[in-house]
Amino acid sequence: MNDVKKYLREWAMPHVLCPGCAHGIVLRSFLEAVDQLQLAQDQVAMVAGIGCSSRLAGYADFCTLHGTHGRAPAFATGLKLARPELDVVVVTGDGDGLAIGGNHLIHAARRNIDITVLLLNNSIYGMTGGQVAPTSPEGTVASTTPSGNTEPPFDPCQLLLGAGASYVARVLAATPTEMTKVMADAILHPGFAFIEVVADCPEYFGRYNKAGGGAEMLTQLAGRDTGVAVQLADKRFVNHIPSSETAPGLQTGVLRRETRPVFSGVRGGGDHGA
Amino acid sequence: MPEQTKGLVLAGVGGQGVILAGMIVADALVRAGHDVKQSEVHGMAQRGGSVFSHIRWGQSVDSPLVPEASAEVLAAFEWAEALRWVSYVREGGAVVADLRTIVPPGACRNTRSWATTYPGVDPDLFVDRRLTAHLVDAASTATELGNVRTAGSVILGAVSRFCGIDQIHWEAAIESLVPRGTEEVNLAAFRAGCEVGEATIPVAPAPPEGFSGPHQIEIDHTWCKGCDICSRVCPEYCLAVDLRGQLNVVNADVCTGCHLCELLCPDFAISIHPPSTEVVTAVD
Repeated sequence: MNDVKKYLREWAMPHVLCPGCAHGIVLRSFLEAVDQLQLAQDQVAMVAGIGCSSRLAGYADFCTLHGTHGRAPAFATGLKLARPELDVVVVTGDGDGLAIGGNHLIHAARRNIDITVLLLNNSIYGMTGGQVAPTSPEGTVASTTPSGNTEPPFDPCQLLLGAGASYVARVLAATPTEMTKVMADAILHPGFAFIEVVADCPEYFGRYNKAGGGAEMLTQLAGRDTGVAVQLADKRFVNHIPSSETAPGLQTGVLRRETRPVFSGVRGGGDHGA
Repeated sequence: MPEQTKGLVLAGVGGQGVILAGMIVADALVRAGHDVKQSEVHGMAQRGGSVFSHIRWGQSVDSPLVPEASAEVLAAFEWAEALRWVSYVREGGAVVADLRTIVPPGACRNTRSWATTYPGVDPDLFVDRRLTAHLVDAASTATELGNVRTAGSVILGAVSRFCGIDQIHWEAAIESLVPRGTEEVNLAAFRAGCEVGEATIPVAPAPPEGFSGPHQIEIDHTWCKGCDICSRVCPEYCLAVDLRGQLNVVNADVCTGCHLCELLCPDFAISIHPPSTEVVTAVD
């Protein structure tokens, strides 16, 4: 393992995230990916909106931009057009990216601008106090749905596939090496790359829905992995997974990778992934 | 002056064949012409207790119970039982102890980390008491012979030298008492036990293949929030969160360097270093 602490703003640590919150694992995997690709720290730009997930940009020692709620893809679009040499990475959450900023996200995908979006899906609004989110499964108890959520949730990957993203992947926060691999792949992808990282929220989702703490939620998450690589299948970690009746399987891995003209702001100026 | 009555204590845990071994010893001694009395406590193993058998022999035996500090030899089928019963052995007596360890549920103080209060295997514990210690790896010897359940016969073989009776009586007793069809393998195990008794047994278990020494676990307590993910994922149970919520390394000797805890720590609080590197002391 590489020492990724050199990419951290150590003076800002420990971070504000709750005990057991997987967002820190996601940040670590992202830093590992940057380390694998040997990107210079001033070559990476992390753009974030508002929310627990968006806090991650504050702890990474890259060029970082903390914008307004839901508008991270819009900021990132501007940044990439002005400074095309940067590797622009958007860190957003399910509430930030799919509810408040859903519009910006799908249009960035439609344009195929060369940015990478990490959407940390913890199925709830964590920072604002546990309100129901567009990705909360039906029946989710949240502070705004005390008797259970009655609305069907989004599948973020299906949404982005429909919006025309040229790279769509889903990874689990419980499988960090897989996460690192997909993130490195997505950063290298020419065009819009979208990664849904399925994470946990032990403090609100776990507490309201009696899903346990971080360890239990991650264990359950690892058991839902039906994708290409089950990293930890032979570990104790996933041995005692309850049946998947309550938690349906999640298709993980790269769901789409295609090459199409990349948006550069100039008519006919798009390159074809060269 | 009649010959002094001698004693032998057999100790083990349920299922190891302590009772059968006691019957074989008693039978062999009877065959050799001794007066023998035997007593045992059994049925306790399921409650976390031990199984033991006392045997006394001589010209005329009055009580079946071996008084403390008077046994010629203690035959322990399990390491912790050897320690439990060692006070029954007279000064200058002998201990034959199997290296096998069977950790009882009661010794597990923490079912999450499996940290136990089980004693370490250390022959010096007997040397301090001026006892002759014969450590046998009976389970391995028996496995080599083809039936791990004959480990008791290996131990009897190691014990036989201290009872002062002819080998014929031992073999006759074994043949008449062991389950039908296992006479040959039990006799082979007994003879193997007679020989391995003198052998010096390596005490430390061999490390797993490819294990080049434990990796070093460094915890940054100022960053750790005690979320307990690391201790749950560690396949070797190296880490545990205590009641105050502080993460501790409880089993530093077995870290294989799989990095699962490091990768899954949301707080960047764990660093795993290869065996050779120097580690800065963890921040308190």
